[in-house]
Amino acid sequence: MGHFSFYLSTIVVYFGIDLMAAWALNLQYGYAGVINFAFIVFQAAGAYVAGTVVLGPDTGTNSYQHYILGANLPFPVPLLAAALAGAVLSAVIGLFAVRRIRRDYQAAVMLIVSLILLQVVTSDIHLFNGANGITGIPHPLYTALGFSLSSYQWVYALWVLALCAVLYVIVERLGRSSWGRSLRAIRDQEDAAASLGLNGTLLRLEVFVIGGAIAGLSGGLLVEFIGAWSPGAWGYAETFVIFTALLVGGVGNNRGMLLGTLIVPILVLELPTFLPTIGYPGLIGAIQWIIIGLAWMLFLLLRPRGILPERRFRAPRPLADDTVRSAAARWVARVLTLGRPDMAPRGPRLGAAAGRAPVPDDVPVAGDPAVATARVRQAPSGADEG
Amino acid sequence: MNVLVQTLGFGIVSASIIAVGAMGFTIQFGLTNVLNLSYGATMTVAAFVAYLTEQAGINIWLGMVLGGVAGAVLTIFLGKTVFKLYARRGTRLFEMVMVTLGLGLVIEYSVDIVARDKIYSVSFPQGASFHLGAATLTASQLALVGVGIVIFLALEALLRLTRLGKALRAMAVDPGLARSCGIPTNRIVNATWLISGFLCGVAGVIYVINSLSVDYSTGLLFLPVVLAAAILGGVGSPRGALLASLLLGVVTELVAAAGFSSYSSVAAFGVLVVVLLSKPSGVLNAAARKVELTV
Amino acid sequence: MSSHRYLRRRTGGTILAASLATVFALTGAAGAAPGGSSRPALAKGSGSAINEAIIIAYTGPVSFEGGAADSGVYPAVHVIDAAGGVMGHKMNIITEDDRGDPADAVPIADKLIATSSNLVGVDGPGTASSPTVVPIINAAHITDMTIGGNARFDHAHYKYMWRLVPPDPANGEAMALYAKSKHYTKVAAVFGATTGSQGDLPGVLNGLKKINATLVAQVTLTPDQASYRAEAEKIIAAHPQVIMTESDGTTAATFFSELEQLGGLVPIIGTTATDISTWLDAVRKGIGATTFKKDYTAVIDGTPQTTAATASYTDGLKAVESKVPSPWTQWVTNPYSGAQFDGIITQALAMTDAHSTTPKVYNTKIEAVTEPGKGKAVVHTYAQGVKALKQGKKIQYVGVTGLIRFDKYHNSFGNEAAVTVDTSDNPVVVQTITEQQIQKLG
Repeated sequence: MGHFSFYLSTIVVYFGIDLMAAWALNLQYGYAGVINFAFIVFQAAGAYVAGTVVLGPDTGTNSYQHYILGANLPFPVPLLAAALAGAVLSAVIGLFAVRRIRRDYQAAVMLIVSLILLQVVTSDIHLFNGANGITGIPHPLYTALGFSLSSYQWVYALWVLALCAVLYVIVERLGRSSWGRSLRAIRDQEDAAASLGLNGTLLRLEVFVIGGAIAGLSGGLLVEFIGAWSPGAWGYAETFVIFTALLVGGVGNNRGMLLGTLIVPILVLELPTFLPTIGYPGLIGAIQWIIIGLAWMLFLLLRPRGILPERRFRAPRPLADDTVRSAAARWVARVLTLGRPDMAPRGPRLGAAAGRAPVPDDVPVAGDPAVATARVRQAPSGADEG
Repeated sequence: MNVLVQTLGFGIVSASIIAVGAMGFTIQFGLTNVLNLSYGATMTVAAFVAYLTEQAGINIWLGMVLGGVAGAVLTIFLGKTVFKLYARRGTRLFEMVMVTLGLGLVIEYSVDIVARDKIYSVSFPQGASFHLGAATLTASQLALVGVGIVIFLALEALLRLTRLGKALRAMAVDPGLARSCGIPTNRIVNATWLISGFLCGVAGVIYVINSLSVDYSTGLLFLPVVLAAAILGGVGSPRGALLASLLLGVVTELVAAAGFSSYSSVAAFGVLVVVLLSKPSGVLNAAARKVELTV
Repeated sequence: MSSHRYLRRRTGGTILAASLATVFALTGAAGAAPGGSSRPALAKGSGSAINEAIIIAYTGPVSFEGGAADSGVYPAVHVIDAAGGVMGHKMNIITEDDRGDPADAVPIADKLIATSSNLVGVDGPGTASSPTVVPIINAAHITDMTIGGNARFDHAHYKYMWRLVPPDPANGEAMALYAKSKHYTKVAAVFGATTGSQGDLPGVLNGLKKINATLVAQVTLTPDQASYRAEAEKIIAAHPQVIMTESDGTTAATFFSELEQLGGLVPIIGTTATDISTWLDAVRKGIGATTFKKDYTAVIDGTPQTTAATASYTDGLKAVESKVPSPWTQWVTNPYSGAQFDGIITQALAMTDAHSTTPKVYNTKIEAVTEPGKGKAVVHTYAQGVKALKQGKKIQYVGVTGLIRFDKYHNSFGNEAAVTVDTSDNPVVVQTITEQQIQKLG
């Protein structure tokens, strides 16, 4: 049972990290329509940086690994560095990739970016030790906490889940903020949104960078858990796993990500390892990829919005039972959005002042992305960019 | 100087390898508006067909034609079934690119299962070496350059001189108008699938002739550079694709010759990024235009 | 309204709860089932079956590791069972694919440990995933015969990890020693940019420095490019007398055929990793069989020599022919599969010596059955070893890869050999480079 509990704690950690990744991707694709086929690159950036900033400076005496950014930063600075790495890399790539170009071009360019960066990091051994990657990254606070390894794994799992909970509040609040609505507006009708003064490119860049930061954070959490990172861990196809979770779970729905992450990385990819080997080694792996490919095709054909489709965001409720909890959550969100008022969740009072009444969820209203989509589908040639 | 000449020679060979695939991609994308990421998987299928013909002792140049035919057949089949199905359902352009990615995975890993996850070596005589000034190229490399040129000329002739070509160009500009002018759009679309599929297949075989081995991921590894050339050259223009291939080929070889071989492909894609940043008009115009799937 | 809100909240909570419950249920249900990818066969011997696990890349960029591992472990288990098993226990094999991905490998290793009952030993992992997998197996106190060449394990204390292949740099240093013996002074290094392919490079660079040879050119080949003409030109311009190389077969075939076309081919010295059929086959086709025969030598781990160990291994391989990638003959001389064969035999002999299949107990006996010593009976097969142990003798197992001597970090360096290959890819030893020579160079 001890070993089993150990395995279970690993699965919980991976589930949490995949979930964070799915939320980040959902911000980018679900909210803003940015097709980030290079997503895994930003997770990898976080992983490399979180790893090297605890390995100590590379003095060149160690013949087996060479890396940049070596330092001895204490917990939790490496995680912040990981998020920063994801954000900075996103900003650089976003400068050309989230401009107002056709989204299918964007997807192709992102795919190319993913392949190229993998190639650079693999070939240039001076960056992050090339193909062999960086190893020997210690568990944060492992000795300080003094737990046994299996207890530590559970502490780590709880830590990841706690971060997930905070992150959920943030992405939900961001989605409901006026900023989140602007994202949906540029996603569905960029021309119309632009005529209202929204800067689509800037908004996409912002969401791209925020998503990149979350991706970086998830990579940092992963590398601190497993202790090593190399190009083998971030092949371009890893992005598709998270993207599949998104398409299956529900585009634009953060709770759908929960379901999607459970179904794809856990059920489809983890469970088959329990099956007896069939055929030649590698057959199961190939079948898994075929299933993922078919999932993309079938969901896009039959249920393009996923199992739990995007919820139409609700008008705020002027309620008295506004708890301390949500106030605290709002505060966290506000800090993390650097005080940008449009990114902060709208307070109940604000909504009440605007005089908007709550609307039942299932009544389609103008501005509802579902309606916008329906309209586009009726007259595809009228769509801005398909 | 000699190094420069040799590098240019290599660049032209690299360009001719990229160009055939890029020309096929660009006319397919230009007319149908499907950014087809399963194009790489189709190249892989054609590459395996060439491998099988080589194993059967058939001449590789005939194998190239057979690979092209395989590409054409597979492409029109996918076009008439899968792509048509999605277009009818009102799938949008950016969703279509994801559909083609999923389709690519399905085809690739099906090939992987058939190939039992192995890499297959191809032996191919390179022929005599020729010295052209300071550059040394083999007979087979020259032949590949020849294939590239012949295909380009044939494609240009088709587009400029034949009724089919005129109809193709008209449809790429405005399918609705073309339809109302009495152009049989369905037949034109079929012709596009066949021609682009053939070029895609030939490109897969060319890649194998040069790299001497094939596995399930062959096409996917080759796809980025083909995509880059097609986008860089301006969608729908074989001439642009050829020039872009030349640019990419020469830049790649120059950077490698300068001693930065880890960064040679990066430099090539850097060109693409610079173009996207500085002169995105080609791309932007396409975005501003009303674009629809024509499959 | 507030009830509506309550409902919503609960929906969210329910999904979370249901998700977690499902994760638990799934893993739990699976945990109760017989573990591992292959179900343990019913025990036929006097004891219950014991499980040996292979955890290695069967898919992904280093999938060749899987074939080599199967070709070492299955024959070993066959000869062990044929000799009556380990104290009457039949050995069963569990296989796990770690995909050569250090991140994916973690839950796979954890699952292996969690769900396998009676797991007595592990074979693997390879270079790519060993940094994350070895610590897990070590923490579970299970004896692990790894083949990861990472220099990281050269000076790391992992009580349960044993490495039967020399660290990659040792292979590189042996290449330099061979070059010295051939009076090469101008050397070019051409290494692929994949995990494993770069492991030998530090050893090559260090070795060349020590023998006072000049590294005239160093090229890194990014895998799967359509061409490496510029890289080939760089090599030609540097006028090396010999090229030291390691990469995957596909890349090597493209590179060397282009080098040959450009008229720049000089003798090639490969490594343990180029001495495998896929590489040999691809490059032979690329540059032509005659040129290949003339120009190719490899410096490999171990010294292929015909002893009773080789015969036992060959018998075992033939018996499990259907379980290994064909043709089975290609594995007879593969140093990786040979090392893994030796690893399993060593484990089984240590179990016999310790009278226990429990890793915590027999792990301390590993060196007892391999270390040379006065009055020890030298054995080459499992059956010989068991017989000698039963007679109360102390034994030294000298296996397919020759002498096994672990240092305090549990690395066995062993001798190296310079080999050419015959037409059926069997190595022909042209020179032996001893462990002492390599250590002295270091």
